[in-house]
Amino acid sequence: MLIYLDNAATTAVDPRVAAKMMRCLSEDGVYGNAASISHAYGAAARIKIEEARAQVAGVVGCDVDEIVWTSGATEADNLAVFGVAQYYQGNGRHLVTSRTEHKAILDPCRELERRGWSVTYLSPDDRGLLTPQSVAAAIRPDTVLVSIMHVNNEIGVIQDIEAIAAACNAHGKPLHVDAAQSVGKVRLDLRSAGIALASLSAHKAHGPKGVGALAINKRHAAGRHPVQLQPLLYGGGQERGLRSGTLPTHQIVGMGAAFELAEAERAGDSARIAGLRDRLWEALSGAGAALRNGDPAICVPHILNVSFEDVEGESLLAGVRDRIAVSTGSACTSATEEPSYVLRALGRGERLAESSLRFSMGRFTSTSDIDLAAEVVTQALRRLRRIAC
Amino acid sequence: MNDDRVPYSELTQRYFQQAPNAGTLNGRGVGTATVGSREGGTKVRFSVQVVDDHITAARFLAFGCPHVIAIASWLTEQCSGKRAHAALPEDVQSLRRRFDVPVEKLGRILVVEDAWIAAIRAAVTKSKEVLS
Repeated sequence: MLIYLDNAATTAVDPRVAAKMMRCLSEDGVYGNAASISHAYGAAARIKIEEARAQVAGVVGCDVDEIVWTSGATEADNLAVFGVAQYYQGNGRHLVTSRTEHKAILDPCRELERRGWSVTYLSPDDRGLLTPQSVAAAIRPDTVLVSIMHVNNEIGVIQDIEAIAAACNAHGKPLHVDAAQSVGKVRLDLRSAGIALASLSAHKAHGPKGVGALAINKRHAAGRHPVQLQPLLYGGGQERGLRSGTLPTHQIVGMGAAFELAEAERAGDSARIAGLRDRLWEALSGAGAALRNGDPAICVPHILNVSFEDVEGESLLAGVRDRIAVSTGSACTSATEEPSYVLRALGRGERLAESSLRFSMGRFTSTSDIDLAAEVVTQALRRLRRIAC
Repeated sequence: MNDDRVPYSELTQRYFQQAPNAGTLNGRGVGTATVGSREGGTKVRFSVQVVDDHITAARFLAFGCPHVIAIASWLTEQCSGKRAHAALPEDVQSLRRRFDVPVEKLGRILVVEDAWIAAIRAAVTKSKEVLS
């Protein structure tokens, strides 16, 4: 049996979530187009969608009319970056972000650079953390957006997002937060934190793939007005004109249910999963020459990223992949492979970055899963180190 | 993070997982050579025993990808009883095809080849020292 320890990539849909989604797909379900205002089918879909909107808004601390549905966090990130950049390009053409952001932020920033924008990429310290002071120092008069992720998807460190938001707000600049990994692990409250925009994903929190949201704080402290966005999609005017397209009712219902469950079970899940993570680390560190990546004290419970010395990365993965599903520190980009840019940004050498494994636990990970994973990895390490020169 | 890797052939998987002849040799007529570096991602060591101009035993150690480990292991199995030529039993391109190695990894097989040839040469020299 293959043990799934890649919950930072995606999670299994919780059966309770799937049941609610299925009811929207059955023949007598809520399959109407929520934009159809002329009949009851559309109204029924609208009711479900607004219920889900309230569930999501409640989890991230904003109002229901501040949630814009998207196809996922990648689209939400793109909408935030391009939407703000295009709307405010008359005010300036500079953004601030970090080197350890998800590609859904870095690639749009690279595209803006190709269009003549300038972007400041902040370097985290060797624990993966940024300081509010470094963010403030990077802000310029022509900065139109700062984008910093809440929880890093590779190493799990949690940025001090409230302090970073305060630094941005003190300079009158909006902060966008990629919060794809946050829900169910660490509380994020847009209003109290003063965050202008936040990207959300359903499938990282035991919800379905293909749905996410951009939360837009109407009352963030950086300006007198909510941040304005230029839409990426046109054609129907859904979501107050910010994201045209027929809303996928079953997906949205799934996201609402998943978020509500994630928040309700956050405390219990976090404590249990942190215990599993610590148990795994204790076993792996016992194998020797194992280095934990990211600050172990300021991280979410579900991610453990470890670099292993004295083994070659591809062989390590090949040695465990038949028994456990994990991610590696070698990221494939098109035809070539390159070491994880996140681990490289933390100062890990190329070889250590390549010989890293990310273990990410979820709601359905058991103690026996962890014990077996530890055994598989330590056996592979012993064998590869024995035959290495 | 992404582990969408090229799958390995059955032959590569077998020799990578079982790695027969992993280890080192000592004694008369044994030549050893190490080529490559861990920093470069591939390092291979062969120790080969030559008696009467024939290979009697070979062992390997390798820091590298599964293809490198598999090919190094396979070579040590193939050579027993063969004449001690300073060459691979088949050329690098044939080895690449046999183990279904992606073309971008050709440089890693060349490291294996260099280590093999250097070890054979060292073993031949050692075997002649024994005779003299």
